[in-house]
Amino acid sequence: MGISLDTLTAAQIAAGVAAGKFTATEVARAALSAIETREADVQAFLQVTPELALEAAARVDALRAAGESLPPLAGVPLAIKDNMNLAGTRTTCASRMLENYESPYTATCVRRMLDAGCLPVGKANMDEFAFGSSTESSAFHRTNNPWDLERVPGGSSGGSAAAVAAGMTALALGSDTGGSIRQPAALCGVVGMKPTYGVVSRYGVVAFGSSLDQVGPFGRTVEDVALALDALTAGGRDPFDGTSQEAEGGFAAHIDDDIAGLRVGVIPAFMEAEGLAPEVKAAVEGALRTLEAQGAKLVEVDLPHLDAAIAAYYVIGPAEAFSNLARFDGVRYGYQEAGCTNLAEQSSKSRAHGFGAEAKRRQMLGAYLLSSGVYDKYYYAAQKARSLITEDYARAYEQVDVILMPASPTTAFKFGELSDPTQMYLSDMFTISINIAGNGGITVPCGVGADSGLPVAVQLVGRAFDDRRLLTFARAVERGHAQAAGVPGCVVAPDFAGKGGELA
Amino acid sequence: MALTEDDVRGIAEYATIALDESELTEMTAYLNDAVEMLEPILQYAAEDVEPTFHPIGDLSNVMRSDAVDADRALATEDALANAGAARDGQFRVPSILGGGDR
Repeated sequence: MGISLDTLTAAQIAAGVAAGKFTATEVARAALSAIETREADVQAFLQVTPELALEAAARVDALRAAGESLPPLAGVPLAIKDNMNLAGTRTTCASRMLENYESPYTATCVRRMLDAGCLPVGKANMDEFAFGSSTESSAFHRTNNPWDLERVPGGSSGGSAAAVAAGMTALALGSDTGGSIRQPAALCGVVGMKPTYGVVSRYGVVAFGSSLDQVGPFGRTVEDVALALDALTAGGRDPFDGTSQEAEGGFAAHIDDDIAGLRVGVIPAFMEAEGLAPEVKAAVEGALRTLEAQGAKLVEVDLPHLDAAIAAYYVIGPAEAFSNLARFDGVRYGYQEAGCTNLAEQSSKSRAHGFGAEAKRRQMLGAYLLSSGVYDKYYYAAQKARSLITEDYARAYEQVDVILMPASPTTAFKFGELSDPTQMYLSDMFTISINIAGNGGITVPCGVGADSGLPVAVQLVGRAFDDRRLLTFARAVERGHAQAAGVPGCVVAPDFAGKGGELA
Repeated sequence: MALTEDDVRGIAEYATIALDESELTEMTAYLNDAVEMLEPILQYAAEDVEPTFHPIGDLSNVMRSDAVDADRALATEDALANAGAARDGQFRVPSILGGGDR
């Protein structure tokens, strides 16, 4: 009997391949077998790519056979959110608009993960064009939370989070415009990081809100996420993305640094926020104790303008989305309405019939907010609130090194439970502000909640471009939780652990 | 003042999205809800701070020399591969001015 691939971290898979315990091809086959067994229940993928995974595996095995040194994530199965281009796959953004869109090239973030040796096993489901917090707005199918198939995985990167939580891949890429990595990570019980804006290239990722979007990794351990961030930033800034910045690097090397004497901020108002589930609050309190036990000092901080974050986000996000999605006019790519007599009719009908309901809502809101007479009232006010929120964070980081808060106010909710779109928007209350200010955040799972039996998690929020220290704190939370619970860190959802995916 | 269906019809035209009548009704209700949710932002209009349009403040536009980058440029057939209609190496569109009432 072999071992199940889902018991291994990305670090262990890469080490096993490098040491010749198993081949990358055996890993690829095990991952594809896990997908075959589990995917019917989870539905995390829009496209599974066995040929690409096996080709990448063969390249790794050939390198090893030739006695070459292997890249750091050699043989690690990877899921890729379907708003990222990968040549040889469709990039649909879970939209009818792009149902048949073939990636003309490969996004930098994907390229760098492949260069690090990852095996691309498929493109992951998402909310249409990343508009949502539940993956319910995918035009193709829902994705089920591996911990309870009647519940959502969160969103918009719900497929990426579910693929990792169900043990189908060790790593996944997502994108985060208002919480789209951190909220599904919390709901699926995995680690998910939004690095500081600019740390990861967005070249080849379909844009939603250009001043807010950031790509980041999912994994089942903090170390795996740190290794993925090392891979995503290897090679420095990307000349193809003008907002790409030089990253500090050495993320995995520093995860076990000492946090003794460092300061952790807590925001009392957040802990009393309306709608915060008691079991999530208990997880944050538990994480505070574990950081304190490792020598960190707790400091209360205030972010007085954070109340404005949701309103500011739903001005800036839709305005930028409207500008970005104007490119889908049915001419160069995307759904094209047949039988139109002029270009204006073709564009407006292609957009009406290619986009789903939420994509139309966000663009209509953006169009209204950018219209004459309205623009000055809302858009400028939102950008001024953005200045105040950014200043709040800067002041807080004069007193603390990291801030601990919830990621999602609740555990995973049921399909259809948040049917009112503006109610759904409030589920991002703890994640949105750092997309506005640009600094990084990471979700760390803390076992299951006492009330629901579903994953609960905390979020750590760092200074801008202090992502290395953010990962060190995340590792400290993970270490403390694992010791207290007697488990090896984050686990695969119990109904899926060991189903298929055996390493031959 | 609440947005009317006529207002929303105008926004849809600006957004180039041909909403049908039932969508217009739903969209009007949604936009009024959403705008109400955004109400708290209005108080910041009078704040004496500079607006922040981008999290990285000192970015300047990236320019490149006006020369073809053969490694990066898509081949014509690749650029046209995702188009709904193409002819003679170009994107094909219906009449821009004629054929309709616009």
